[in-house]
Amino acid sequence: MLRGQLRKQETTATRGTGGGRPQHMVVFAVAGKRMAARTEEVAGVVSWTGAIPVPSETPFVTSLVRQEEGCLPVFDLAEKFKRTMREGESLCLVVKHVDGPLAIRIDPEVPSLQMVSRSSIQYHIGDDPDCAGLCVAAGEQLPIINLATLGVSSSRHAG
Amino acid sequence: MGLRQSQTVTLTSSQAVRFLVTLIGDSSIALPAQWVRGIVIPTSVGRDGVLTWADASYEPSDLAGRLKLASQGRSAETRVVLYGHDHQRRSFAVDRVVGIVDVERTMIQPLPAHFRGAERDRLLGLFAEKDSVALIANPFWILDFPSRKNALDVFVLCLSEHRSGETEGRLQLPVATLDAVPVGHAG
Repeated sequence: MLRGQLRKQETTATRGTGGGRPQHMVVFAVAGKRMAARTEEVAGVVSWTGAIPVPSETPFVTSLVRQEEGCLPVFDLAEKFKRTMREGESLCLVVKHVDGPLAIRIDPEVPSLQMVSRSSIQYHIGDDPDCAGLCVAAGEQLPIINLATLGVSSSRHAG
Repeated sequence: MGLRQSQTVTLTSSQAVRFLVTLIGDSSIALPAQWVRGIVIPTSVGRDGVLTWADASYEPSDLAGRLKLASQGRSAETRVVLYGHDHQRRSFAVDRVVGIVDVERTMIQPLPAHFRGAERDRLLGLFAEKDSVALIANPFWILDFPSRKNALDVFVLCLSEHRSGETEGRLQLPVATLDAVPVGHAG
Protein backbone atom coordinates (compact mmCIF):
# COMPACT_ATOMS: atom_id res chain seq x y z
CA MET A 1 0.00 0.00 0.00
CA LEU A 2 2.75 2.39 0.97
CA ARG A 3 4.76 1.59 -2.13
CA GLY A 4 1.62 2.25 -4.18
CA GLN A 5 1.17 5.62 -2.51
CA LEU A 6 4.75 6.53 -3.27
CA ARG A 7 4.33 5.51 -6.91
CA LYS A 8 1.13 7.57 -7.15
CA GLN A 9 2.85 10.59 -5.66
CA GLU A 10 5.71 10.13 -8.09
CA THR A 11 3.35 10.01 -11.07
CA THR A 12 1.55 13.14 -9.90
CA ALA A 13 4.83 14.93 -9.33
CA THR A 14 6.13 14.01 -12.78
CA ARG A 15 3.00 15.32 -14.47
CA GLY A 16 3.39 18.58 -12.62
CA THR A 17 6.90 19.15 -13.95
CA GLY A 18 6.93 21.99 -16.34
CA GLY A 19 10.11 21.19 -18.26
CA GLY A 20 13.63 21.19 -16.89
CA ARG A 21 14.96 18.31 -14.85
CA PRO A 22 14.07 18.74 -11.21
CA GLN A 23 15.51 16.25 -8.73
CA HIS A 24 12.96 13.95 -7.13
CA MET A 25 13.45 13.62 -3.41
CA VAL A 26 11.78 11.50 -0.78
CA VAL A 27 11.10 13.56 2.33
CA PHE A 28 10.76 11.72 5.61
CA ALA A 29 11.19 12.36 9.31
CA VAL A 30 13.21 10.62 12.00
CA ALA A 31 12.32 11.51 15.58
CA GLY A 32 10.79 14.76 14.33
CA LYS A 33 13.80 15.76 12.23
CA ARG A 34 12.82 16.10 8.59
CA MET A 35 15.28 15.13 5.89
CA ALA A 36 15.43 14.29 2.20
CA ALA A 37 16.98 11.54 0.12
CA ARG A 38 17.23 10.76 -3.58
CA THR A 39 14.31 8.59 -4.72
CA GLU A 40 16.58 6.14 -6.51
CA GLU A 41 18.12 5.21 -3.16
CA VAL A 42 14.77 4.21 -1.64
CA ALA A 43 13.43 0.69 -2.21
CA GLY A 44 10.17 1.12 -0.33
CA VAL A 45 8.34 1.76 2.88
CA VAL A 46 6.89 -0.99 5.04
CA SER A 47 5.51 -1.16 8.53
CA TRP A 48 7.98 -1.27 11.39
CA THR A 49 7.85 -4.59 13.22
CA GLY A 50 10.44 -3.95 15.90
CA ALA A 51 14.19 -4.40 15.99
CA ILE A 52 16.19 -7.36 17.21
CA PRO A 53 19.39 -6.21 18.96
CA VAL A 54 22.76 -7.44 17.70
CA PRO A 55 25.91 -7.08 19.83
CA SER A 56 27.67 -4.89 17.31
CA GLU A 57 30.54 -2.42 17.38
CA THR A 58 29.60 -0.86 14.06
CA PRO A 59 28.43 2.70 14.67
CA PHE A 60 24.63 2.99 14.37
CA VAL A 61 24.21 -0.57 13.05
CA THR A 62 23.19 -2.52 16.13
CA SER A 63 20.01 -4.35 15.25
CA LEU A 64 18.07 -6.30 12.66
CA VAL A 65 14.50 -6.19 11.54
CA ARG A 66 12.61 -9.17 10.15
CA GLN A 67 11.34 -8.89 6.65
CA GLU A 68 9.66 -11.73 4.78
CA GLU A 69 11.94 -14.76 5.02
CA GLY A 70 15.06 -12.96 6.14
CA CYS A 71 16.35 -10.04 8.13
CA LEU A 72 17.59 -6.58 7.25
CA PRO A 73 20.23 -4.66 9.18
CA VAL A 74 18.96 -1.44 10.73
CA PHE A 75 20.78 1.88 10.61
CA ASP A 76 19.85 4.00 13.62
CA LEU A 77 19.50 7.41 11.99
CA ALA A 78 17.85 8.81 15.14
CA GLU A 79 20.93 7.96 17.19
CA LYS A 80 23.20 9.45 14.56
CA PHE A 81 21.36 12.75 14.93
CA LYS A 82 21.26 12.34 18.72
CA ARG A 83 17.50 12.16 18.81
CA THR A 84 15.11 9.71 20.43
CA MET A 85 12.34 7.94 18.57
CA ARG A 86 8.96 8.26 20.20
CA GLU A 87 7.35 5.06 21.42
CA GLY A 88 4.51 3.80 19.32
CA GLU A 89 3.99 3.36 15.64
CA SER A 90 6.81 3.79 13.18
CA LEU A 91 7.50 3.00 9.58
CA CYS A 92 10.46 1.24 8.04
CA LEU A 93 12.25 2.89 5.14
CA VAL A 94 14.00 0.24 3.07
CA VAL A 95 17.13 1.62 1.45
CA LYS A 96 19.09 0.46 -1.60
CA HIS A 97 22.45 0.46 0.14
CA VAL A 98 25.73 -0.43 -1.56
CA ASP A 99 26.13 -3.34 0.87
CA GLY A 100 22.59 -4.61 0.33
CA PRO A 101 19.14 -3.62 1.56
CA LEU A 102 19.13 -1.61 4.76
CA ALA A 103 16.28 -0.60 7.06
CA ILE A 104 15.76 2.73 8.81
CA ARG A 105 13.10 3.35 11.43
CA ILE A 106 11.27 6.55 10.56
CA ASP A 107 8.31 8.50 11.94
CA PRO A 108 4.82 7.18 11.15
CA GLU A 109 4.03 9.91 8.62
CA VAL A 110 4.21 8.38 5.15
CA PRO A 111 7.21 9.83 3.28
CA SER A 112 6.30 12.26 0.56
CA LEU A 113 7.78 12.70 -2.87
CA GLN A 114 8.95 16.22 -3.60
CA MET A 115 10.35 17.77 -6.73
CA VAL A 116 13.32 19.91 -5.91
CA SER A 117 14.82 22.44 -8.23
CA ARG A 118 18.41 21.49 -8.90
CA SER A 119 19.40 25.09 -8.39
CA SER A 120 18.19 24.83 -4.78
CA ILE A 121 20.51 21.95 -4.00
CA GLN A 122 23.78 22.72 -2.26
CA TYR A 123 26.13 19.77 -2.24
CA HIS A 124 29.03 19.09 0.15
CA ILE A 125 27.91 21.18 3.09
CA GLY A 126 29.72 20.19 6.27
CA ASP A 127 32.06 17.27 6.84
CA ASP A 128 29.53 14.51 7.50
CA PRO A 129 29.99 11.94 4.70
CA ASP A 130 26.44 10.69 5.29
CA CYS A 131 25.05 14.11 4.45
CA ALA A 132 25.22 15.10 0.76
CA GLY A 133 24.19 18.68 1.32
CA LEU A 134 21.03 20.74 1.61
CA CYS A 135 17.98 21.23 -0.53
CA VAL A 136 14.83 23.31 -0.37
CA ALA A 137 11.62 21.29 -0.66
CA ALA A 138 8.26 23.04 -0.39
CA GLY A 139 9.96 26.07 1.09
CA GLU A 140 11.72 24.03 3.75
CA GLN A 141 15.49 23.59 3.91
CA LEU A 142 16.35 19.93 4.49
CA PRO A 143 19.55 17.94 4.79
CA ILE A 144 20.06 15.41 1.98
CA ILE A 145 21.03 12.02 3.38
CA ASN A 146 23.32 9.73 1.37
CA LEU A 147 21.20 6.65 1.98
CA ALA A 148 23.11 4.40 -0.43
CA THR A 149 26.40 4.83 1.42
CA LEU A 150 25.05 5.44 4.90
CA GLY A 151 27.60 4.47 7.53
CA VAL A 152 30.24 3.34 5.05
CA SER A 153 32.56 6.30 5.52
CA SER A 154 31.86 6.77 9.22
CA SER A 155 32.66 3.10 9.85
CA ARG A 156 35.91 3.54 7.99
CA HIS A 157 36.73 6.55 10.12
CA ALA A 158 35.79 4.69 13.29
CA GLY A 159 37.83 1.67 12.30
CA MET B 1 18.12 -33.65 31.65
CA GLY B 2 16.20 -33.39 28.46
CA LEU B 3 16.30 -30.41 26.21
CA ARG B 4 13.17 -28.29 26.05
CA GLN B 5 12.75 -29.02 22.42
CA SER B 6 14.38 -30.95 19.68
CA GLN B 7 12.85 -29.48 16.62
CA THR B 8 12.51 -31.84 13.72
CA VAL B 9 12.03 -30.02 10.47
CA THR B 10 11.28 -31.33 7.02
CA LEU B 11 14.43 -30.77 5.09
CA THR B 12 13.81 -30.03 1.47
CA SER B 13 17.43 -29.44 0.50
CA SER B 14 20.39 -31.73 0.95
CA GLN B 15 22.27 -29.71 3.55
CA ALA B 16 21.49 -28.60 7.06
CA VAL B 17 23.31 -27.40 10.15
CA ARG B 18 22.34 -28.54 13.62
CA PHE B 19 22.35 -25.88 16.33
CA LEU B 20 21.94 -25.74 20.07
CA VAL B 21 19.82 -22.62 20.62
CA THR B 22 20.34 -20.72 23.86
CA LEU B 23 19.29 -17.42 25.37
CA ILE B 24 21.78 -14.89 26.69
CA GLY B 25 20.03 -11.77 27.93
CA ASP B 26 17.41 -10.99 25.32
CA SER B 27 19.45 -12.51 22.50
CA SER B 28 18.95 -15.90 20.99
CA ILE B 29 22.41 -17.39 20.44
CA ALA B 30 22.84 -20.52 18.32
CA LEU B 31 25.89 -22.76 18.67
CA PRO B 32 26.79 -25.38 16.06
CA ALA B 33 25.82 -28.51 17.95
CA GLN B 34 28.58 -30.87 16.84
CA TRP B 35 31.02 -29.31 19.26
CA VAL B 36 28.62 -29.32 22.21
CA ARG B 37 29.98 -31.88 24.66
CA GLY B 38 27.37 -31.45 27.37
CA ILE B 39 25.07 -29.18 29.32
CA VAL B 40 25.22 -29.00 33.10
CA ILE B 41 23.82 -26.89 35.90
CA PRO B 42 26.17 -24.25 37.38
CA THR B 43 26.69 -26.10 40.67
CA SER B 44 28.65 -28.70 38.73
CA VAL B 45 31.43 -26.19 38.21
CA GLY B 46 34.38 -26.47 40.57
CA ARG B 47 35.52 -23.62 42.79
CA ASP B 48 38.34 -22.78 40.41
CA GLY B 49 35.78 -22.52 37.63
CA VAL B 50 37.23 -25.50 35.81
CA LEU B 51 34.72 -28.18 34.98
CA THR B 52 35.81 -31.74 34.43
CA TRP B 53 33.61 -34.10 32.53
CA ALA B 54 34.50 -37.51 31.13
CA ASP B 55 38.18 -36.98 32.03
CA ALA B 56 38.29 -33.74 30.09
CA SER B 57 38.68 -30.31 31.66
CA TYR B 58 36.73 -27.33 30.36
CA GLU B 59 38.26 -23.92 30.94
CA PRO B 60 35.63 -21.36 32.00
CA SER B 61 34.84 -18.58 29.58
CA ASP B 62 32.51 -15.60 29.87
CA LEU B 63 30.72 -16.01 26.55
CA ALA B 64 28.10 -13.37 27.38
CA GLY B 65 30.81 -10.82 28.17
CA ARG B 66 32.86 -11.75 25.11
CA LEU B 67 29.78 -11.30 22.93
CA LYS B 68 29.12 -7.95 24.66
CA LEU B 69 25.76 -9.22 25.87
CA ALA B 70 24.24 -8.49 29.25
CA SER B 71 23.36 -11.76 30.92
CA GLN B 72 20.18 -11.93 32.98
CA GLY B 73 22.21 -13.27 35.88
CA ARG B 74 22.16 -16.65 37.46
CA SER B 75 18.75 -18.26 37.84
CA ALA B 76 17.18 -21.68 37.93
CA GLU B 77 17.28 -21.63 34.13
CA THR B 78 21.04 -20.99 33.92
CA ARG B 79 23.03 -23.77 32.32
CA VAL B 80 26.70 -24.29 31.59
CA VAL B 81 27.50 -25.48 28.08
CA LEU B 82 30.55 -27.67 27.59
CA TYR B 83 32.01 -26.88 24.22
CA GLY B 84 35.04 -28.47 22.66
CA HIS B 85 36.91 -29.72 19.65
CA ASP B 86 40.27 -31.46 19.52
CA HIS B 87 42.17 -30.23 22.57
CA GLN B 88 40.36 -26.90 22.86
CA ARG B 89 37.60 -26.92 25.45
CA ARG B 90 35.58 -24.15 27.08
CA SER B 91 32.63 -24.00 29.43
CA PHE B 92 30.33 -21.02 29.53
CA ALA B 93 27.04 -20.06 31.10
CA VAL B 94 23.89 -19.27 29.17
CA ASP B 95 20.68 -17.90 30.66
CA ARG B 96 18.60 -20.67 29.20
CA VAL B 97 18.89 -23.62 26.86
CA VAL B 98 16.07 -23.57 24.32
CA GLY B 99 16.81 -26.70 22.36
CA ILE B 100 18.21 -28.30 19.25
CA VAL B 101 17.17 -27.26 15.79
CA ASP B 102 18.21 -28.37 12.31
CA VAL B 103 18.34 -25.47 9.92
CA GLU B 104 18.54 -25.81 6.19
CA ARG B 105 21.73 -24.30 4.84
CA THR B 106 19.73 -22.10 2.52
CA MET B 107 17.83 -20.61 5.48
CA ILE B 108 21.03 -19.41 7.12
CA GLN B 109 21.78 -15.78 6.32
CA PRO B 110 25.36 -14.54 6.66
CA LEU B 111 25.89 -11.53 8.87
CA PRO B 112 25.01 -8.59 6.60
CA ALA B 113 28.02 -6.70 5.25
CA HIS B 114 26.77 -3.54 6.97
CA PHE B 115 28.17 -4.95 10.20
CA ARG B 116 31.82 -3.97 9.90
CA GLY B 117 33.21 -4.24 13.41
CA ALA B 118 34.60 -6.99 15.59
CA GLU B 119 31.17 -8.60 15.64
CA ARG B 120 32.14 -10.16 12.30
CA ASP B 121 34.64 -12.35 14.18
CA ARG B 122 32.07 -13.34 16.78
CA LEU B 123 28.97 -13.97 14.70
CA LEU B 124 28.76 -16.08 11.56
CA GLY B 125 25.21 -15.26 10.61
CA LEU B 126 21.63 -15.75 11.63
CA PHE B 127 18.44 -17.61 10.97
CA ALA B 128 14.84 -16.73 11.59
CA GLU B 129 12.89 -18.64 14.19
CA LYS B 130 9.14 -18.45 14.73
CA ASP B 131 9.16 -15.39 16.95
CA SER B 132 12.73 -14.23 16.87
CA VAL B 133 16.07 -14.39 15.14
CA ALA B 134 18.93 -16.57 16.33
CA LEU B 135 22.46 -15.20 15.99
CA ILE B 136 25.05 -17.85 15.20
CA ALA B 137 28.11 -17.60 17.43
CA ASN B 138 31.37 -18.43 15.69
CA PRO B 139 32.57 -21.73 17.19
CA PHE B 140 36.16 -21.09 16.07
CA TRP B 141 36.13 -17.76 17.92
CA ILE B 142 34.58 -19.38 21.01
CA LEU B 143 37.39 -21.95 21.18
CA ASP B 144 40.14 -19.49 20.18
CA PHE B 145 40.93 -21.33 16.97
CA PRO B 146 42.26 -19.27 14.08
CA SER B 147 39.43 -17.71 12.12
CA ARG B 148 38.53 -19.30 8.82
CA LYS B 149 36.35 -18.54 5.87
CA ASN B 150 33.10 -20.43 5.38
CA ALA B 151 33.33 -21.70 8.94
CA LEU B 152 29.79 -23.06 8.90
CA ASP B 153 30.68 -25.49 6.12
CA VAL B 154 32.50 -27.57 8.73
CA PHE B 155 29.18 -28.24 10.41
CA VAL B 156 27.02 -28.97 7.41
CA LEU B 157 25.30 -32.32 7.47
CA CYS B 158 25.08 -33.65 3.92
CA LEU B 159 21.81 -35.50 3.79
CA SER B 160 22.00 -36.61 0.17
CA GLU B 161 25.27 -38.52 0.40
CA HIS B 162 24.15 -41.07 2.95
CA ARG B 163 23.57 -44.72 2.53
CA SER B 164 20.50 -46.21 4.07
CA GLY B 165 20.41 -45.56 7.83
CA GLU B 166 23.66 -43.62 7.91
CA THR B 167 22.22 -40.12 7.93
CA GLU B 168 19.70 -40.81 10.59
CA GLY B 169 22.32 -42.08 12.98
CA ARG B 170 24.68 -39.22 12.25
CA LEU B 171 21.93 -36.64 12.68
CA GLN B 172 20.77 -38.00 15.96
CA LEU B 173 24.20 -38.41 17.50
CA PRO B 174 24.53 -34.90 18.99
CA VAL B 175 21.05 -35.05 20.49
CA ALA B 176 21.70 -38.45 22.00
CA THR B 177 24.93 -37.13 23.49
CA LEU B 178 23.21 -34.11 24.95
CA ASP B 179 20.29 -36.03 26.33
CA ALA B 180 22.67 -38.44 27.99
CA VAL B 181 24.30 -35.72 30.06
CA PRO B 182 23.01 -36.14 33.58
CA VAL B 183 22.63 -32.79 35.30
CA GLY B 184 24.78 -32.36 38.34
CA HIS B 185 26.94 -35.39 37.70
CA ALA B 186 29.73 -33.60 35.97
CA GLY B 187 32.87 -32.60 37.75
